[in-house]
Amino acid sequence: MNPDLTEASDAALVVAIARYRQEALAEAYRRHAGAVFGLARRLLRSQSTAEEIVQEVFLRLWHQPDRFDASRGSLRSYLLAHTHGRSVDVMRSDSARRAREERDVRAAAESGYDLEHEVWDMATAAQVRQAMNVLPQGERAAIQLAYFDGLTYREVAVELGEPEGTVKSRIRSGLKRLRVTLAAVGVVAGAER
Amino acid sequence: MMPAEAIEELLGAYALDAVDANEKRAVEEYLANNPRARAEVEQHREVATMLAYSGTTAPDGLWDRIASALDEPAPMPGPELARILPPPDRVDVAMRSSRRRWLRPAAGVLAAAAVITIAVLSATLVERARELDRFRQSVAAPTLSQLYGSALRLNTTKLVALRSGDGAMVATAAFEPDGTGYLSANRLPQLDEAKTYQLWGAVDAGEGAGAKVISLGVLGRHPDIVPFVVGQGKLVALVITEERNGGVPVSTQPAALKGDVI
Repeated sequence: MNPDLTEASDAALVVAIARYRQEALAEAYRRHAGAVFGLARRLLRSQSTAEEIVQEVFLRLWHQPDRFDASRGSLRSYLLAHTHGRSVDVMRSDSARRAREERDVRAAAESGYDLEHEVWDMATAAQVRQAMNVLPQGERAAIQLAYFDGLTYREVAVELGEPEGTVKSRIRSGLKRLRVTLAAVGVVAGAER
Repeated sequence: MMPAEAIEELLGAYALDAVDANEKRAVEEYLANNPRARAEVEQHREVATMLAYSGTTAPDGLWDRIASALDEPAPMPGPELARILPPPDRVDVAMRSSRRRWLRPAAGVLAAAAVITIAVLSATLVERARELDRFRQSVAAPTLSQLYGSALRLNTTKLVALRSGDGAMVATAAFEPDGTGYLSANRLPQLDEAKTYQLWGAVDAGEGAGAKVISLGVLGRHPDIVPFVVGQGKLVALVITEERNGGVPVSTQPAALKGDVI
């Protein structure tokens, strides 16, 4: 790997990707593929479909790097937002519902994923879990069902037996509260680069 | 058309892809002319990003499939490993070059060949010297790397993410219940020769004694993986400061990075 790229910021990587430097895409993959794959697999509960999503996300970055705007957030946030959106699309299709029922959660194989990022993610995940645990139960449940089960807020309302208006308010207030809690312990999204 | 207040209430759900298609369109039209609402959605997405942190690894072979779908072959991603064998490409390039030159007219051929041969030998020798350095490093360095890696794989190991106030500097630490820990700080910028990083632990001594701060080691000006040992007490936080070369017994410097033990 080009040492210039291993030290480069995510924004610089995307500029290099726009210049068709494939090693820059490889570096972006090294940094973020684990998180992208982890989210897709958690949502889809299918190893093979999650791999397809990862491919799609990184190929989109390759072909449309201009879609990423560093001033609007981190590269990881951008990639994960796309991953979540595509995974939810797939989940809401009939074929994916069948796939979900299969609950195909196979162990992940080894990859070139950066150990440092893995450790960082695990440590951050612990802090996020702790922050989630201090949210009011209603907010926590609404966010979990919407984000990790791919439900619309209306479906969440049915699931929790709460009014729709209450659920959408809780999702919003819960996200705001999470941000404040995480900021208080120094966790800032995308701050690792 | 949805009223603005109703759309505002949807921003959280929208950021989590938890709205239906009609609502999504309405929110996106609203966002197009409302930078404050766009900023709120971006903030929600940043939080959602953190929810997704899991330390998962992508499967082997997945990158190959992505790379093969690109226009040209791409290099394998992954940490740079010390190579034991000389990379053939440099020598091959020189040799291919030399073959081409043999095809030129006779004048100067022998001289050119001699130059090329010397160039190839020089390149090979330089490369071998570099490989030897890399090999030495690969023998010396992985000992700590392996210990660090082993610590990470234990269920009982606690992980600490250390950050600077602005988030620009990061380091990670792993420590085991017996008090043995490893700090990975290879992303810290190199300090000038008069300075060193120093690691501190905030330790709760228990029985009402409160927390005390102890030095866990002088890290040097450009640390990589550094072991440390926490003695008696419960480690509650790690702090890194910048100190004068050699370190200090008691710091008066502000924390360059800090992280709580969860």
